[in-house]
Amino acid sequence: MTSMERRDRPLWMLIPGAILLAVVILAPLALVSYMSLTDLDQYTLRHWTLAPFIGLGNYVEALLQAPLLSSIWISVSTAALVCVISLPIGVTAALAMQNRFPARGLVRSLFLIPYVLPAFAVGAMWRTILKPDAIVNGVLGQLGLPAPLWLNGPASYWVLVAVEAWSAWPFVYLLTLAALQSITKDVHEAAAIDGALGWAKLTRVILPQIAGSVALSMVISFLHSVNNFSVPYVLFSLPAPASVQVLPLLTYAQSFQSFRFGLSAATAVASLIIVAIPLLVYLRALRLDVGERR
Amino acid sequence: MSRFRAASVQQVLPRPVHAAAVVALLLIVLVPLAYILSASLNSDLAVAAGDFWPSQFTFGNYARIWQTTDLAGGLRNSVLISGSVAVVSALVSVMTAYVLVRHKFLGRLTTLRGLVILQSVPGTLLLLPIFVLFASVSTALRVPIIGTPWAVFVTYLTFALPFSTWVMVTYLRGLPLEIEEAARIDGAGPATVLLRIVLPLSWPGIVVAAIFSFLQGWNDVLFSSVMTSPASRTAAVALSVLSSTQDTGAVPIYGQMMAASLVCAAPVVLLNLVFQRYLVNGLTAGGIK
Repeated sequence: MTSMERRDRPLWMLIPGAILLAVVILAPLALVSYMSLTDLDQYTLRHWTLAPFIGLGNYVEALLQAPLLSSIWISVSTAALVCVISLPIGVTAALAMQNRFPARGLVRSLFLIPYVLPAFAVGAMWRTILKPDAIVNGVLGQLGLPAPLWLNGPASYWVLVAVEAWSAWPFVYLLTLAALQSITKDVHEAAAIDGALGWAKLTRVILPQIAGSVALSMVISFLHSVNNFSVPYVLFSLPAPASVQVLPLLTYAQSFQSFRFGLSAATAVASLIIVAIPLLVYLRALRLDVGERR
Repeated sequence: MSRFRAASVQQVLPRPVHAAAVVALLLIVLVPLAYILSASLNSDLAVAAGDFWPSQFTFGNYARIWQTTDLAGGLRNSVLISGSVAVVSALVSVMTAYVLVRHKFLGRLTTLRGLVILQSVPGTLLLLPIFVLFASVSTALRVPIIGTPWAVFVTYLTFALPFSTWVMVTYLRGLPLEIEEAARIDGAGPATVLLRIVLPLSWPGIVVAAIFSFLQGWNDVLFSSVMTSPASRTAAVALSVLSSTQDTGAVPIYGQMMAASLVCAAPVVLLNLVFQRYLVNGLTAGGIK
Protein backbone atom coordinates (compact mmCIF):
# COMPACT_ATOMS: atom_id res chain seq x y z
CA MET A 1 0.00 0.00 0.00
CA THR A 2 1.64 3.23 -1.10
CA SER A 3 1.46 6.44 0.86
CA MET A 4 -0.63 8.09 -1.84
CA GLU A 5 -3.34 5.43 -1.58
CA ARG A 6 -3.26 5.67 2.17
CA ARG A 7 -3.96 9.42 2.02
CA ASP A 8 -6.82 8.86 -0.42
CA ARG A 9 -8.75 6.33 1.62
CA PRO A 10 -12.40 7.43 1.30
CA LEU A 11 -13.37 6.21 4.74
CA TRP A 12 -16.22 8.74 4.83
CA MET A 13 -18.02 6.45 2.41
CA LEU A 14 -18.42 4.01 5.28
CA ILE A 15 -20.46 6.51 7.29
CA PRO A 16 -23.99 5.79 5.91
CA GLY A 17 -23.53 2.03 6.19
CA ALA A 18 -21.86 2.27 9.59
CA ILE A 19 -24.62 4.49 11.02
CA LEU A 20 -27.38 2.23 9.69
CA LEU A 21 -25.66 -0.95 10.92
CA ALA A 22 -25.07 0.62 14.34
CA VAL A 23 -28.68 1.79 14.67
CA VAL A 24 -30.58 -1.22 13.33
CA ILE A 25 -28.21 -4.04 14.35
CA LEU A 26 -25.52 -3.20 16.91
CA ALA A 27 -27.69 -1.15 19.28
CA PRO A 28 -30.47 -3.80 19.26
CA LEU A 29 -27.89 -6.54 19.90
CA ALA A 30 -26.58 -4.63 22.91
CA LEU A 31 -30.14 -4.05 24.12
CA VAL A 32 -31.17 -7.70 23.78
CA SER A 33 -28.16 -8.75 25.86
CA TYR A 34 -29.19 -6.27 28.56
CA MET A 35 -32.87 -7.31 28.29
CA SER A 36 -31.90 -10.91 28.95
CA LEU A 37 -30.66 -9.79 32.40
CA THR A 38 -33.88 -7.98 33.35
CA ASP A 39 -37.40 -9.03 34.26
CA LEU A 40 -38.96 -7.21 31.32
CA ASP A 41 -42.67 -7.96 30.79
CA GLN A 42 -45.76 -6.29 29.37
CA TYR A 43 -45.93 -3.83 32.29
CA THR A 44 -42.37 -2.53 31.92
CA LEU A 45 -42.27 -2.93 28.12
CA ARG A 46 -42.90 0.75 27.38
CA HIS A 47 -40.22 1.89 29.87
CA TRP A 48 -37.59 -0.82 29.49
CA THR A 49 -35.02 1.08 31.55
CA LEU A 50 -37.27 0.59 34.60
CA ALA A 51 -37.40 -3.20 34.34
CA PRO A 52 -35.82 -4.81 37.43
CA PHE A 53 -32.30 -6.16 36.90
CA ILE A 54 -32.22 -9.82 37.88
CA GLY A 55 -28.78 -10.92 36.67
CA LEU A 56 -28.78 -14.44 35.29
CA GLY A 57 -32.26 -15.17 36.65
CA ASN A 58 -33.79 -15.56 33.19
CA TYR A 59 -31.09 -17.99 32.10
CA VAL A 60 -31.58 -20.07 35.23
CA GLU A 61 -35.34 -20.08 34.67
CA ALA A 62 -34.91 -20.94 30.97
CA LEU A 63 -32.72 -23.92 31.87
CA LEU A 64 -34.67 -25.23 34.86
CA GLN A 65 -38.32 -24.40 34.11
CA ALA A 66 -38.87 -23.25 30.55
CA PRO A 67 -38.49 -25.92 27.87
CA LEU A 68 -35.17 -24.48 26.66
CA LEU A 69 -33.22 -27.74 26.67
CA SER A 70 -35.96 -29.68 24.90
CA SER A 71 -36.27 -26.87 22.33
CA ILE A 72 -32.53 -26.95 21.72
CA TRP A 73 -32.76 -30.70 21.21
CA ILE A 74 -35.73 -30.40 18.82
CA SER A 75 -34.01 -27.62 16.83
CA VAL A 76 -30.67 -29.41 16.55
CA SER A 77 -32.11 -32.86 15.82
CA THR A 78 -34.60 -31.65 13.19
CA ALA A 79 -31.93 -29.55 11.47
CA ALA A 80 -29.51 -32.50 11.50
CA LEU A 81 -32.18 -34.84 10.10
CA VAL A 82 -33.06 -32.30 7.39
CA CYS A 83 -29.38 -32.24 6.39
CA VAL A 84 -29.05 -36.03 6.42
CA ILE A 85 -32.16 -36.42 4.23
CA SER A 86 -31.26 -33.59 1.84
CA LEU A 87 -27.74 -34.87 1.27
CA PRO A 88 -28.39 -38.01 -0.86
CA ILE A 89 -31.35 -36.42 -2.66
CA GLY A 90 -29.47 -33.23 -3.54
CA VAL A 91 -26.31 -35.03 -4.66
CA THR A 92 -28.28 -37.55 -6.76
CA ALA A 93 -30.19 -34.71 -8.43
CA ALA A 94 -26.95 -32.93 -9.27
CA LEU A 95 -25.34 -36.12 -10.62
CA ALA A 96 -28.43 -36.74 -12.75
CA MET A 97 -27.83 -33.43 -14.52
CA GLN A 98 -24.51 -34.76 -15.82
CA ASN A 99 -26.36 -36.91 -18.36
CA ARG A 100 -27.74 -35.32 -21.48
CA PHE A 101 -31.46 -35.90 -21.75
CA PRO A 102 -34.48 -34.18 -23.30
CA ALA A 103 -35.78 -31.09 -21.46
CA ARG A 104 -32.77 -31.02 -19.14
CA GLY A 105 -32.99 -27.23 -18.82
CA LEU A 106 -36.64 -27.42 -17.78
CA VAL A 107 -36.00 -30.17 -15.23
CA ARG A 108 -33.08 -28.16 -13.84
CA SER A 109 -35.44 -25.25 -13.14
CA LEU A 110 -38.24 -27.45 -11.80
CA PHE A 111 -35.86 -28.93 -9.21
CA LEU A 112 -35.34 -25.43 -7.81
CA ILE A 113 -39.02 -24.72 -7.14
CA PRO A 114 -39.29 -26.26 -3.63
CA TYR A 115 -36.34 -24.13 -2.55
CA VAL A 116 -37.42 -20.83 -4.10
CA LEU A 117 -41.04 -21.20 -3.02
CA PRO A 118 -41.56 -18.77 -0.10
CA ALA A 119 -41.51 -20.56 3.27
CA PHE A 120 -45.01 -19.25 4.08
CA ALA A 121 -46.32 -20.87 0.89
CA VAL A 122 -44.53 -24.14 1.69
CA GLY A 123 -46.09 -24.13 5.16
CA ALA A 124 -49.59 -23.27 3.94
CA MET A 125 -49.42 -25.88 1.20
CA TRP A 126 -48.38 -28.80 3.42
CA ARG A 127 -50.79 -27.65 6.13
CA THR A 128 -53.63 -28.07 3.65
CA ILE A 129 -52.32 -31.39 2.37
CA LEU A 130 -51.96 -32.80 5.91
CA LYS A 131 -55.19 -31.54 7.52
CA PRO A 132 -57.08 -34.42 9.22
CA ASP A 133 -59.78 -34.62 6.51
CA ALA A 134 -57.60 -33.72 3.52
CA ILE A 135 -55.91 -35.60 0.71
CA VAL A 136 -53.21 -37.59 2.55
CA ASN A 137 -55.57 -39.11 5.08
CA GLY A 138 -58.16 -39.57 2.33
CA VAL A 139 -55.71 -41.68 0.33
CA LEU A 140 -54.56 -43.59 3.43
CA GLY A 141 -58.19 -44.32 4.29
CA GLN A 142 -58.90 -45.67 0.83
CA LEU A 143 -55.91 -47.99 1.15
CA GLY A 144 -57.27 -49.20 4.47
CA LEU A 145 -54.37 -47.72 6.44
CA PRO A 146 -54.66 -45.81 9.72
CA ALA A 147 -54.95 -42.03 9.24
CA PRO A 148 -53.00 -40.33 12.04
CA LEU A 149 -53.05 -36.66 13.05
CA TRP A 150 -50.11 -35.07 11.26
CA LEU A 151 -50.23 -31.54 12.63
CA ASN A 152 -50.58 -32.53 16.28
CA GLY A 153 -48.92 -34.98 18.64
CA PRO A 154 -45.75 -36.99 18.06
CA ALA A 155 -46.15 -37.31 14.26
CA SER A 156 -45.75 -33.54 13.88
CA TYR A 157 -42.01 -33.84 14.57
CA TRP A 158 -41.54 -36.00 11.48
CA VAL A 159 -43.85 -33.77 9.46
CA LEU A 160 -41.60 -30.80 10.29
CA VAL A 161 -38.50 -32.75 9.25
CA ALA A 162 -40.10 -33.95 6.02
CA VAL A 163 -41.48 -30.57 4.99
CA GLU A 164 -38.21 -28.76 5.71
CA ALA A 165 -36.26 -31.45 3.84
CA TRP A 166 -38.67 -31.09 0.90
CA SER A 167 -37.75 -27.45 0.56
CA ALA A 168 -34.07 -27.79 1.59
CA TRP A 169 -32.65 -30.46 -0.75
CA PRO A 170 -32.50 -28.22 -3.86
CA PHE A 171 -29.94 -26.06 -2.06
CA VAL A 172 -27.62 -29.07 -1.71
CA TYR A 173 -28.38 -29.81 -5.36
CA LEU A 174 -27.46 -26.25 -6.41
CA LEU A 175 -24.09 -26.21 -4.65
CA THR A 176 -23.24 -29.75 -5.76
CA LEU A 177 -24.17 -28.90 -9.34
CA ALA A 178 -21.89 -25.86 -9.28
CA ALA A 179 -19.03 -28.05 -8.00
CA LEU A 180 -19.70 -30.74 -10.62
CA GLN A 181 -19.65 -28.17 -13.41
CA SER A 182 -16.23 -26.96 -12.30
CA ILE A 183 -14.77 -30.44 -12.89
CA THR A 184 -13.02 -30.18 -16.23
CA LYS A 185 -13.58 -32.51 -19.15
CA ASP A 186 -9.95 -33.65 -18.81
CA VAL A 187 -10.76 -35.26 -15.47
CA HIS A 188 -13.68 -37.17 -16.99
CA GLU A 189 -11.54 -38.26 -19.94
CA ALA A 190 -8.68 -39.32 -17.70
CA ALA A 191 -11.13 -41.38 -15.64
CA ALA A 192 -12.49 -43.00 -18.81
CA ILE A 193 -9.00 -43.79 -20.10
CA ASP A 194 -8.02 -45.33 -16.77
CA GLY A 195 -11.15 -47.47 -16.96
CA ALA A 196 -12.82 -45.85 -13.94
CA LEU A 197 -16.52 -46.19 -14.69
CA GLY A 198 -19.75 -46.32 -12.75
CA TRP A 199 -19.33 -46.78 -9.03
CA ALA A 200 -15.53 -46.55 -9.11
CA LYS A 201 -15.65 -43.26 -10.99
CA LEU A 202 -18.26 -41.88 -8.60
CA THR A 203 -16.45 -42.76 -5.38
CA ARG A 204 -12.82 -42.34 -6.48
CA VAL A 205 -13.00 -39.42 -8.93
CA ILE A 206 -16.18 -37.39 -8.58
CA LEU A 207 -17.00 -37.46 -4.87
CA PRO A 208 -13.54 -36.35 -3.69
CA GLN A 209 -13.80 -33.35 -6.01
CA ILE A 210 -17.21 -32.22 -4.77
CA ALA A 211 -16.82 -33.18 -1.10
CA GLY A 212 -15.91 -29.63 -0.02
CA SER A 213 -18.95 -28.03 -1.64
CA VAL A 214 -21.26 -30.73 -0.33
CA ALA A 215 -19.90 -30.26 3.19
CA LEU A 216 -20.42 -26.51 2.91
CA SER A 217 -23.99 -27.01 1.72
CA MET A 218 -24.58 -29.13 4.83
CA VAL A 219 -23.30 -26.36 7.10
CA ILE A 220 -25.44 -23.69 5.43
CA SER A 221 -28.51 -25.97 5.33
CA PHE A 222 -28.08 -26.63 9.04
CA LEU A 223 -27.95 -22.89 9.75
CA HIS A 224 -31.01 -22.24 7.56
CA SER A 225 -32.96 -25.01 9.21
CA VAL A 226 -32.04 -24.11 12.80
CA ASN A 227 -33.12 -20.50 12.20
CA ASN A 228 -36.25 -21.42 10.24
CA PHE A 229 -39.20 -19.68 11.83
CA SER A 230 -41.67 -19.44 8.94
CA VAL A 231 -42.14 -23.12 8.09
CA PRO A 232 -42.97 -24.39 11.62
CA TYR A 233 -44.95 -21.20 12.36
CA VAL A 234 -47.19 -21.45 9.31
CA LEU A 235 -47.36 -25.25 9.30
CA PHE A 236 -48.46 -25.71 12.92
CA SER A 237 -49.48 -22.14 13.94
CA LEU A 238 -49.26 -21.06 17.56
CA PRO A 239 -49.49 -22.59 20.08
CA ALA A 240 -47.37 -25.22 18.34
CA PRO A 241 -47.41 -28.87 19.50
CA ALA A 242 -44.67 -29.48 22.10
CA SER A 243 -42.86 -31.90 19.78
CA VAL A 244 -42.11 -29.16 17.20
CA GLN A 245 -41.39 -26.26 19.53
CA VAL A 246 -38.13 -25.24 17.91
CA LEU A 247 -36.11 -22.37 19.39
CA PRO A 248 -37.47 -19.61 17.12
CA LEU A 249 -41.05 -20.61 18.01
CA LEU A 250 -40.24 -20.81 21.73
CA THR A 251 -38.62 -17.36 21.68
CA TYR A 252 -41.53 -15.88 19.72
CA ALA A 253 -44.18 -17.41 21.99
CA GLN A 254 -42.38 -16.27 25.15
CA SER A 255 -42.39 -12.69 23.83
CA PHE A 256 -45.60 -12.23 21.96
CA GLN A 257 -47.88 -14.70 23.73
CA SER A 258 -46.61 -14.77 27.34
CA PHE A 259 -45.07 -11.26 27.17
CA ARG A 260 -42.00 -12.46 29.10
CA PHE A 261 -39.59 -10.34 27.08
CA GLY A 262 -36.66 -10.82 29.47
CA LEU A 263 -36.96 -14.60 29.48
CA SER A 264 -37.42 -14.58 25.73
CA ALA A 265 -34.27 -12.47 25.26
CA ALA A 266 -32.34 -15.00 27.35
CA THR A 267 -33.67 -17.82 25.13
CA ALA A 268 -32.67 -15.91 21.99
CA VAL A 269 -29.16 -15.27 23.32
CA ALA A 270 -28.83 -18.90 24.41
CA SER A 271 -29.87 -20.07 20.95
CA LEU A 272 -26.69 -18.47 19.60
CA ILE A 273 -24.83 -21.45 21.07
CA ILE A 274 -26.27 -23.83 18.48
CA VAL A 275 -25.46 -21.57 15.52
CA ALA A 276 -21.96 -20.80 16.81
CA ILE A 277 -20.26 -24.07 15.82
CA PRO A 278 -21.57 -24.31 12.22
CA LEU A 279 -20.95 -20.57 11.89
CA LEU A 280 -17.29 -20.95 12.84
CA VAL A 281 -16.92 -23.74 10.28
CA TYR A 282 -18.56 -21.54 7.66
CA LEU A 283 -16.32 -18.56 8.48
CA ARG A 284 -13.22 -20.73 8.08
CA ALA A 285 -14.39 -21.83 4.64
CA LEU A 286 -14.86 -18.24 3.46
CA ARG A 287 -12.08 -16.18 1.96
CA LEU A 288 -12.16 -12.88 3.78
CA ASP A 289 -8.85 -11.32 2.75
CA VAL A 290 -10.41 -9.55 -0.20
CA GLY A 291 -7.86 -6.74 -0.38
CA GLU A 292 -5.16 -8.95 -1.85
CA ARG A 293 -4.84 -9.30 -5.58
CA ARG A 294 -5.13 -12.80 -6.84
CA MET B 1 -20.34 -37.69 -32.94
CA SER B 2 -17.80 -35.86 -30.78
CA ARG B 3 -20.56 -34.00 -28.94
CA PHE B 4 -22.22 -37.28 -28.13
CA ARG B 5 -18.97 -38.77 -26.88
CA ALA B 6 -18.25 -35.71 -24.75
CA ALA B 7 -21.68 -36.10 -23.17
CA SER B 8 -21.26 -39.75 -22.37
CA VAL B 9 -17.78 -39.30 -20.95
CA GLN B 10 -19.09 -36.78 -18.39
CA GLN B 11 -22.00 -38.81 -17.19
CA VAL B 12 -21.74 -40.52 -13.84
CA LEU B 13 -25.04 -42.29 -13.27
CA PRO B 14 -25.83 -45.33 -15.44
CA ARG B 15 -28.87 -44.79 -17.68
CA PRO B 16 -31.52 -46.78 -15.72
CA VAL B 17 -30.45 -45.25 -12.39
CA HIS B 18 -30.48 -41.82 -14.00
CA ALA B 19 -33.98 -42.22 -15.43
CA ALA B 20 -35.35 -43.56 -12.14
CA ALA B 21 -33.74 -40.70 -10.19
CA VAL B 22 -35.10 -37.98 -12.46
CA VAL B 23 -38.62 -39.44 -12.45
CA ALA B 24 -38.63 -39.91 -8.66
CA LEU B 25 -37.38 -36.37 -8.02
CA LEU B 26 -39.88 -34.86 -10.43
CA LEU B 27 -42.68 -36.72 -8.63
CA ILE B 28 -41.47 -35.43 -5.23
CA VAL B 29 -41.48 -31.86 -6.54
CA LEU B 30 -44.51 -31.86 -8.82
CA VAL B 31 -47.14 -34.01 -7.07
CA PRO B 32 -47.63 -31.61 -4.12
CA LEU B 33 -47.53 -28.62 -6.47
CA ALA B 34 -50.07 -30.20 -8.82
CA TYR B 35 -52.34 -30.91 -5.86
CA ILE B 36 -52.12 -27.29 -4.69
CA LEU B 37 -52.94 -26.05 -8.16
CA SER B 38 -55.90 -28.41 -8.48
CA ALA B 39 -57.12 -27.54 -4.96
CA SER B 40 -57.04 -23.86 -5.88
CA LEU B 41 -59.40 -24.66 -8.77
CA ASN B 42 -61.65 -26.91 -6.71
CA SER B 43 -64.55 -26.43 -4.30
CA ASP B 44 -63.75 -26.57 -0.58
CA LEU B 45 -66.14 -29.50 -0.08
CA ALA B 46 -64.39 -31.59 -2.73
CA VAL B 47 -60.95 -30.79 -1.21
CA ALA B 48 -62.27 -31.74 2.24
CA ALA B 49 -63.59 -35.01 0.76
CA GLY B 50 -60.03 -35.88 -0.31
CA ASP B 51 -60.41 -35.49 -4.08
CA PHE B 52 -57.21 -34.95 -6.06
CA TRP B 53 -58.65 -33.63 -9.31
CA PRO B 54 -61.71 -31.36 -9.28
CA SER B 55 -64.81 -32.82 -10.95
CA GLN B 56 -65.31 -29.34 -12.34
CA PHE B 57 -62.76 -26.56 -12.52
CA THR B 58 -63.63 -23.14 -11.14
CA PHE B 59 -61.70 -19.90 -10.97
CA GLY B 60 -64.05 -18.68 -8.23
CA ASN B 61 -61.38 -19.01 -5.54
CA TYR B 62 -59.09 -16.66 -7.43
CA ALA B 63 -61.92 -14.12 -7.56
CA ARG B 64 -62.95 -14.45 -3.92
CA ILE B 65 -59.53 -14.15 -2.22
CA TRP B 66 -59.49 -10.38 -2.82
CA GLN B 67 -62.62 -9.93 -0.66
CA THR B 68 -61.87 -12.52 2.05
CA THR B 69 -58.66 -10.76 3.03
CA ASP B 70 -57.05 -7.51 1.90
CA LEU B 71 -54.68 -9.36 -0.38
CA ALA B 72 -54.30 -6.46 -2.83
CA GLY B 73 -53.31 -4.18 0.05
CA GLY B 74 -50.93 -6.84 1.30
CA LEU B 75 -49.28 -7.22 -2.09
CA ARG B 76 -48.98 -3.42 -2.41
CA ASN B 77 -47.40 -3.14 1.07
CA SER B 78 -45.01 -5.98 0.29
CA VAL B 79 -43.90 -4.33 -2.94
CA LEU B 80 -43.48 -0.89 -1.33
CA ILE B 81 -41.68 -2.03 1.84
CA SER B 82 -39.46 -4.73 0.31
CA GLY B 83 -38.81 -2.50 -2.71
CA SER B 84 -37.60 0.48 -0.68
CA VAL B 85 -35.53 -1.79 1.58
CA ALA B 86 -33.91 -3.28 -1.52
CA VAL B 87 -33.08 0.12 -3.05
CA VAL B 88 -31.78 1.70 0.16
CA SER B 89 -29.64 -1.25 1.16
CA ALA B 90 -28.26 -1.74 -2.35
CA LEU B 91 -27.16 1.91 -2.58
CA VAL B 92 -25.64 2.01 0.90
CA SER B 93 -23.96 -1.33 0.38
CA VAL B 94 -22.14 -0.25 -2.81
CA MET B 95 -20.32 2.48 -0.91
CA THR B 96 -19.57 0.25 2.07
CA ALA B 97 -18.45 -2.66 -0.08
CA TYR B 98 -16.25 -0.44 -2.27
CA VAL B 99 -14.25 0.72 0.75
CA LEU B 100 -14.17 -2.79 2.21
CA VAL B 101 -12.83 -4.31 -1.00
CA ARG B 102 -10.43 -1.63 -2.22
CA HIS B 103 -9.06 -0.03 0.93
CA LYS B 104 -7.32 -1.23 4.03
CA PHE B 105 -8.31 0.06 7.42
CA LEU B 106 -8.39 -1.09 11.01
CA GLY B 107 -11.35 -3.38 11.64
CA ARG B 108 -11.86 -4.33 8.01
CA LEU B 109 -11.63 -8.09 8.53
CA THR B 110 -13.80 -7.81 11.65
CA THR B 111 -16.42 -5.96 9.61
CA LEU B 112 -16.36 -8.62 6.88
CA ARG B 113 -16.62 -11.39 9.45
CA GLY B 114 -19.45 -9.51 11.16
CA LEU B 115 -21.39 -9.29 7.89
CA VAL B 116 -21.31 -13.08 7.59
CA ILE B 117 -22.14 -13.69 11.24
CA LEU B 118 -25.12 -11.33 11.08
CA GLN B 119 -26.64 -13.40 8.29
CA SER B 120 -26.70 -16.45 10.57
CA VAL B 121 -28.04 -14.99 13.82
CA PRO B 122 -31.69 -15.87 14.46
CA GLY B 123 -34.13 -13.13 13.45
CA THR B 124 -35.78 -13.21 16.88
CA LEU B 125 -32.55 -11.95 18.41
CA LEU B 126 -33.03 -8.63 16.57
CA LEU B 127 -36.82 -8.57 16.49
CA LEU B 128 -37.11 -8.52 20.30
CA PRO B 129 -34.96 -5.47 21.12
CA ILE B 130 -36.30 -3.50 18.13
CA PHE B 131 -39.85 -4.21 19.29
CA VAL B 132 -39.02 -3.05 22.82
CA LEU B 133 -37.18 0.00 21.50
CA PHE B 134 -40.10 0.97 19.25
CA ALA B 135 -42.58 0.51 22.10
CA SER B 136 -40.52 2.73 24.42
CA VAL B 137 -39.79 5.43 21.85
CA SER B 138 -43.39 5.64 20.69
CA THR B 139 -44.54 6.00 24.33
CA ALA B 140 -41.96 8.71 24.95
CA LEU B 141 -42.65 10.66 21.75
CA ARG B 142 -46.38 9.83 21.58
CA VAL B 143 -46.18 8.73 17.95
CA PRO B 144 -47.21 5.29 16.72
CA ILE B 145 -44.29 3.25 15.34
CA ILE B 146 -45.30 -0.40 15.60
CA GLY B 147 -47.94 -1.00 12.96
CA THR B 148 -46.53 1.51 10.49
CA PRO B 149 -44.70 0.45 7.32
CA TRP B 150 -41.59 2.22 8.69
CA ALA B 151 -41.35 -0.28 11.54
CA VAL B 152 -41.28 -3.13 9.04
CA PHE B 153 -38.81 -1.22 6.86
CA VAL B 154 -36.32 -0.91 9.74
CA THR B 155 -36.58 -4.58 10.71
CA TYR B 156 -36.01 -5.66 7.09
CA LEU B 157 -32.81 -3.60 7.02
CA THR B 158 -31.45 -5.94 9.71
CA PHE B 159 -31.11 -8.73 7.16
CA ALA B 160 -30.97 -6.75 3.89
CA LEU B 161 -27.98 -4.57 4.83
CA PRO B 162 -25.50 -7.32 5.78
CA PHE B 163 -26.74 -9.48 2.91
CA SER B 164 -26.48 -6.91 0.13
CA THR B 165 -23.18 -5.56 1.45
CA TRP B 166 -21.75 -9.06 1.34
CA VAL B 167 -23.12 -9.66 -2.17
CA MET B 168 -21.51 -6.39 -3.32
CA VAL B 169 -18.22 -7.30 -1.63
CA THR B 170 -18.06 -10.54 -3.60
CA TYR B 171 -19.09 -8.75 -6.80
CA LEU B 172 -16.63 -5.84 -6.55
CA ARG B 173 -13.84 -8.27 -5.70
CA GLY B 174 -14.27 -9.75 -9.16
CA LEU B 175 -13.90 -6.39 -10.96
CA PRO B 176 -10.49 -5.59 -12.48
CA LEU B 177 -8.44 -3.11 -10.48
CA GLU B 178 -6.62 -1.71 -13.51
CA ILE B 179 -9.37 0.66 -14.69
CA GLU B 180 -9.67 2.22 -11.26
CA GLU B 181 -5.90 2.59 -11.01
CA ALA B 182 -5.76 4.28 -14.40
CA ALA B 183 -8.47 6.73 -13.36
CA ARG B 184 -6.63 7.53 -10.15
CA ILE B 185 -3.38 8.15 -12.00
CA ASP B 186 -5.36 10.59 -14.17
CA GLY B 187 -6.22 12.43 -10.97
CA ALA B 188 -9.71 11.15 -10.18
CA GLY B 189 -10.62 11.21 -6.49
CA PRO B 190 -12.29 8.27 -4.70
CA ALA B 191 -15.79 9.73 -5.10
CA THR B 192 -15.27 10.17 -8.84
CA VAL B 193 -13.92 6.63 -9.14
CA LEU B 194 -16.98 5.27 -7.31
CA LEU B 195 -19.48 7.28 -9.36
CA ARG B 196 -17.86 7.11 -12.80
CA ILE B 197 -16.12 3.73 -12.78
CA VAL B 198 -17.33 1.41 -10.02
CA LEU B 199 -21.07 2.15 -10.24
CA PRO B 200 -21.39 1.70 -14.03
CA LEU B 201 -19.33 -1.52 -13.88
CA SER B 202 -21.15 -3.01 -10.92
CA TRP B 203 -24.79 -2.43 -11.78
CA PRO B 204 -25.43 -6.14 -12.46
CA GLY B 205 -24.25 -6.86 -8.92
CA ILE B 206 -26.42 -4.05 -7.56
CA VAL B 207 -29.48 -5.43 -9.35
CA VAL B 208 -28.84 -8.94 -8.00
CA ALA B 209 -28.30 -7.65 -4.45
CA ALA B 210 -31.50 -5.59 -4.67
CA ILE B 211 -33.59 -8.44 -6.10
CA PHE B 212 -32.51 -10.96 -3.51
CA SER B 213 -33.03 -8.43 -0.68
CA PHE B 214 -36.49 -7.78 -2.11
CA LEU B 215 -37.27 -11.50 -2.15
CA GLN B 216 -36.09 -11.95 1.45
CA GLY B 217 -38.40 -9.14 2.51
CA TRP B 218 -41.28 -10.59 0.51
CA ASN B 219 -40.79 -13.99 2.16
CA ASP B 220 -40.57 -12.67 5.72
CA VAL B 221 -43.22 -13.74 8.20
CA LEU B 222 -41.39 -13.22 11.50
CA PHE B 223 -40.94 -9.44 11.49
CA SER B 224 -44.11 -8.55 9.61
CA SER B 225 -46.36 -10.69 11.84
CA VAL B 226 -45.27 -8.57 14.82
CA MET B 227 -44.73 -5.15 13.27
CA THR B 228 -47.78 -4.73 11.03
CA SER B 229 -51.30 -3.48 11.66
CA PRO B 230 -54.24 -4.36 9.35
CA ALA B 231 -53.34 -1.29 7.24
CA SER B 232 -49.65 -2.14 6.84
CA ARG B 233 -49.98 -5.92 6.47
CA THR B 234 -47.66 -7.56 3.99
CA ALA B 235 -48.86 -10.27 1.61
CA ALA B 236 -47.46 -13.02 3.86
CA VAL B 237 -49.44 -11.74 6.84
CA ALA B 238 -52.63 -11.26 4.79
CA LEU B 239 -52.22 -14.91 3.84
CA SER B 240 -51.94 -16.02 7.47
CA VAL B 241 -55.18 -14.14 8.21
CA LEU B 242 -56.78 -16.29 5.53
CA SER B 243 -55.35 -19.33 7.28
CA SER B 244 -56.96 -18.41 10.61
CA THR B 245 -60.28 -17.85 8.83
CA GLN B 246 -59.81 -21.40 7.62
CA ASP B 247 -59.48 -22.62 11.21
CA THR B 248 -62.71 -21.05 12.50
CA GLY B 249 -65.01 -21.44 9.48
CA ALA B 250 -67.49 -24.29 9.19
CA VAL B 251 -65.92 -25.59 5.99
CA PRO B 252 -62.24 -24.61 5.74
CA ILE B 253 -61.59 -22.35 2.74
CA TYR B 254 -58.92 -24.65 1.31
CA GLY B 255 -59.39 -23.44 -2.24
CA GLN B 256 -58.90 -19.77 -1.45
CA MET B 257 -55.94 -20.56 0.82
CA MET B 258 -54.17 -22.34 -2.02
CA ALA B 259 -55.14 -19.75 -4.62
CA ALA B 260 -53.78 -16.93 -2.45
CA SER B 261 -50.57 -18.89 -1.69
CA LEU B 262 -49.99 -19.37 -5.40
CA VAL B 263 -50.66 -15.68 -6.13
CA CYS B 264 -48.13 -14.62 -3.46
CA ALA B 265 -45.56 -17.25 -4.43
CA ALA B 266 -45.68 -16.85 -8.22
CA PRO B 267 -43.66 -13.60 -8.48
CA VAL B 268 -40.98 -15.02 -6.16
CA VAL B 269 -40.63 -18.25 -8.09
CA LEU B 270 -40.51 -16.38 -11.42
CA LEU B 271 -37.85 -13.86 -10.27
CA ASN B 272 -35.77 -16.67 -8.80
CA LEU B 273 -35.93 -18.75 -11.96
CA VAL B 274 -35.05 -15.73 -14.12
CA PHE B 275 -32.06 -14.95 -11.91
CA GLN B 276 -31.16 -18.56 -11.09
CA ARG B 277 -27.68 -18.03 -12.52
CA TYR B 278 -26.96 -15.78 -9.52
CA LEU B 279 -28.72 -17.94 -6.95
CA VAL B 280 -25.63 -19.82 -5.83
CA ASN B 281 -23.54 -16.69 -5.48
CA GLY B 282 -26.28 -14.77 -3.76
CA LEU B 283 -27.11 -17.42 -1.22
CA THR B 284 -23.71 -18.76 -0.32
CA ALA B 285 -22.50 -15.15 -0.54
CA GLY B 286 -19.61 -16.33 -2.68
CA GLY B 287 -15.95 -16.35 -1.79
CA ILE B 288 -15.80 -20.06 -1.11
CA LYS B 289 -12.37 -21.57 -1.41
